[in-house]
Amino acid sequence: MAQENTFICIGCPLGCEVTLTINKKGDVVGFANNKCKEGEKYVLEEYRNPVRTLTATVLTQSSSQPLLAVRTNKPILKTMLVQSMTVLARARVKAPVKMGDVIVANLLDTGADVVASSNLSS
Amino acid sequence: MKLQDVDVAVIGAGPAGMAAAIKAREAGAERVVIMERAEELGGLLHQCVHNGFGLLYFNQDLTGPEYGHRFIEKVMDTGVKPLLETMVVRLTEDRQIGAVNAREGYITFKPKSIVLAMGCRERSRGALDIPGTRPAGVLTAGTAQRYVNVEGFVPGKKIVILGSGDIGMIMARRLTLEGAQVEAVVEMLPYIGGLIRNEVQCLHDFEIPLFLEHTVTRIHGEDRVRAVTIARVDGRRNPVAGTEKTIACDTLLLSVGLIPENELSVMAGIQLDPVTGGALVDEMRQTTVSGVFAGGNVLHVHDLVDNVSWESELAGESAARFALEGKPQKRGEISIKAGTNIRYIVPQTISGQRDATLYMRVTEPEEMVRIKVGDILTKGVRAVKPSEMLKIELPAETLKKLKEETKEIVVDCEKRGGK
Amino acid sequence: MSRIETEVLIVGGGIAGTAIARELSRYKVDATLVEKGADFGQGITKCSSTIMCQGSNTLEFRSEYHNSRLVWAGMPLMAPLCQELNIPLKKIGSLELIKNQAGMRRPEKMIRRFNEYRGKYISPDVEPLQFIDRETLRSWEPNLDRRYIGALYDPNIAVNDPVRLTIALAENAGQNGVNLLLETEVLGISAGIDTFEVQTSKGSIKCRYIINAAGEYIGNLAQMANADDFALYPVKSYQAVLDKKMGGLISHMVFSSEDGMVSPTIHGNLFFGISPGTQRLGKAHDHSTDKKLADTALRRAQELVPDVSSKDIINSFVGFIVFRNFEIGWHECTVGVSRWVPRFINASIGFPGICAAPAVAREMVEILTRHGLRLEENPEFNPYQKAMPDFSELSDEEKKRLIAEDPRYGHVVCRCETVTEGEIVEAIKRGAKTLDGVKFRCRPGMGRCQGGFCGPRVTKILARELGIPETEVTKKGGESQNLMYKSKELLEAQP
Repeated sequence: MAQENTFICIGCPLGCEVTLTINKKGDVVGFANNKCKEGEKYVLEEYRNPVRTLTATVLTQSSSQPLLAVRTNKPILKTMLVQSMTVLARARVKAPVKMGDVIVANLLDTGADVVASSNLSS
Repeated sequence: MKLQDVDVAVIGAGPAGMAAAIKAREAGAERVVIMERAEELGGLLHQCVHNGFGLLYFNQDLTGPEYGHRFIEKVMDTGVKPLLETMVVRLTEDRQIGAVNAREGYITFKPKSIVLAMGCRERSRGALDIPGTRPAGVLTAGTAQRYVNVEGFVPGKKIVILGSGDIGMIMARRLTLEGAQVEAVVEMLPYIGGLIRNEVQCLHDFEIPLFLEHTVTRIHGEDRVRAVTIARVDGRRNPVAGTEKTIACDTLLLSVGLIPENELSVMAGIQLDPVTGGALVDEMRQTTVSGVFAGGNVLHVHDLVDNVSWESELAGESAARFALEGKPQKRGEISIKAGTNIRYIVPQTISGQRDATLYMRVTEPEEMVRIKVGDILTKGVRAVKPSEMLKIELPAETLKKLKEETKEIVVDCEKRGGK
Repeated sequence: MSRIETEVLIVGGGIAGTAIARELSRYKVDATLVEKGADFGQGITKCSSTIMCQGSNTLEFRSEYHNSRLVWAGMPLMAPLCQELNIPLKKIGSLELIKNQAGMRRPEKMIRRFNEYRGKYISPDVEPLQFIDRETLRSWEPNLDRRYIGALYDPNIAVNDPVRLTIALAENAGQNGVNLLLETEVLGISAGIDTFEVQTSKGSIKCRYIINAAGEYIGNLAQMANADDFALYPVKSYQAVLDKKMGGLISHMVFSSEDGMVSPTIHGNLFFGISPGTQRLGKAHDHSTDKKLADTALRRAQELVPDVSSKDIINSFVGFIVFRNFEIGWHECTVGVSRWVPRFINASIGFPGICAAPAVAREMVEILTRHGLRLEENPEFNPYQKAMPDFSELSDEEKKRLIAEDPRYGHVVCRCETVTEGEIVEAIKRGAKTLDGVKFRCRPGMGRCQGGFCGPRVTKILARELGIPETEVTKKGGESQNLMYKSKELLEAQP
């Protein structure tokens, strides 16, 4: 039996609700309701490997700047986002930190590092 | 640098102000100051820790602080003088600036030209006049963003968000990631107020319930918010009796619109556009007061920071030119009028002599449309939405097509195929 | 838990309680004021309109009513009081609008009555009422709806900020020796032969006299002492404040009995509301606004001034009035000793309470004296109160001087109302402990963004000055924390 998945394409303001059909073997067999080819590319990626850049903050030991903005240096699976936060909740950084410094290396074995996306000066 | 000798003074050091100041320097203005009430340059970018900035301007996916950092460095490199923790409290029609700070006290000076880049503020509960009690725990999404991303606090654990503007949706995700439960995002209109990207990545990714065509009809709780009642709205946006539903929560975030911050502009006698809430400008982004320019959200609320930067560069460049030439530039006098399905257009007037970039928003979402700029330009667009700005370039070359006596150009957004 | 002995215990820190406390501080008497809230004036006082001196509209009141006399007696007292306490009072005058010929009879009647009462109940210093014709009305108020054909002009009407007045009265009473206890709720009263034993949330208080100025809780307090039964009939109204940019729309308080009222405020905003009518509150102590009332108020305000628009509303609240007993009379108030419990004195001021407060306070002194309290003048009494600095009102030179003295005045925290850190610190020094406390003393968060920008900054200053964490800073005391958790606290709590 074929399986249908629906995705909202974020490629343009149209926001097509694209239906993706997958056969029993898990192969993609069809797209429906997309108004352009770009939509197929997006949806395929969202189906196979839905990744997001995680952006958040970590606590610092500085009283004048209690938080440091951080991000992953590459997107990670969206299913890992919430779990990643428990790792970030435990991190404490000490000044000085420069934008791009690695805060957590290889976050939960995703291969992505959490890096500073702002500075923390001493 | 003595303040009395300043060529260009930029008010506000957010993305708009920084872009304007840098460009003013690059365009040859020697003494450029940027006045900022906060302790550092960057404005709200510091609290926008999410990504999605710079996709157009830098062709990279940056976070707010990263986007800001690039401009901050350039402000310093180009020799713009920052005046931090300085609040401009007065602006007059003859370009006198009055400002206060703790170091110099009350300062006044008259720069050769000025760029307004004060940004915008959020609509508050009062403007909506939501019935109910007045407990703690009702705050705007941007204020919550500052608490969560800068100050180090999470306002509550069970959150309802009214309005589906971008900041609201982004805060729905941020608060979820911080361990809070977002119970609902409630939107009065039949479509979301922000970008589709944010609907998918901030709401759907976390299975946050979205209630379209609903509004908050009552706030409950004496000391702290205890619950809110929501209800469906009819076509005229009035709540429908019998559809009420009460959601227990401890926090109500409001993401119900942004308003350009134009108190200083009004003080200086600058005329505002009642639709945008920002100044009336020509294609150089000159306001109705000679030598005062404006760019970014103080002019009209933008969808992307990239557009803020570009527009403000234009204002900065024009301000530099004004300062260097030392004589008033003639304001563009051909008015650009919003026609079919266009809510507003900035600039409101153009000269017809120089390149002009039009930013506009539509009134209603529509697919497969054609944008017609008078009879000089037509452009097909696949889809338009009120939440996303449209940008149309009118090169001087194209403007040559204008008939000499043209006083007004109407811009329409028409459905293709139909009339 | 503490134990206090005092001669006179005032229960309630609203306009009545604080006015009485301040009046008593003229004498050498051991007086204590308890208020259950975190600040003064946060009950009915906060909900009252900003109109401080009533005039023509109170002429409707029957002269035999105690309340009427108090209001009239209070009229000439307000200006000197505000002057002593150094808080602004602005005479704006009121225009009671006339729609048709039939309405013309009313001003005649009121002017006649005013002249009759003047010198008898009303002080001769009070300015006389006048009739204003259509042309004058137009020239005075060009933005008024054009249907009105004239108005009854009362030059005496003035506006101020009732909460500020209440806070100033409390501060002044405190400086002159009255013991002020906030967040102290009375839980029980037992009457002895000569004294009362009062249980509060902070300990017990032994006293000889109790002044019941508990506002909407007057009945609850009386019950605790087995004193009078109060039949409370709370009535709700609605009031809204408009953005300062609309402030110039009108310059007098304008009203008509059918439509609502629109008035400038002391701070340059515009204010509209509907008089309470007779709509009973859903339940006692419900201060919530409701849409129907809000819509009616807006519609009526637009009848008066068509340019009033909902999009300019920056804040709205319920105004409410607690009537004692409608069998005795709608506007009746009680300032007098309980019929059943000696030395238990009720002070419930009806509408318009703010205006009557100075007269009520004077009367209270007489009542206490009559009932055996020996009052000797306090030679150290200082009626004057130092004004709260108001940076936005200063000249450029004064601004420079103030910042040179204290650089915190160069740090603007609230951009809408131009409030500096210096003012906020001063407000905290003078007793503000909450965000609302700061807001009512020096206005950060009162402007068009309603604290969106300054909220986090004021919270920080409060935490720093009070030496508490930001998560303990409240909006209005109790459980009204604005920030419930520290960053990552919710994540650590998860398994």
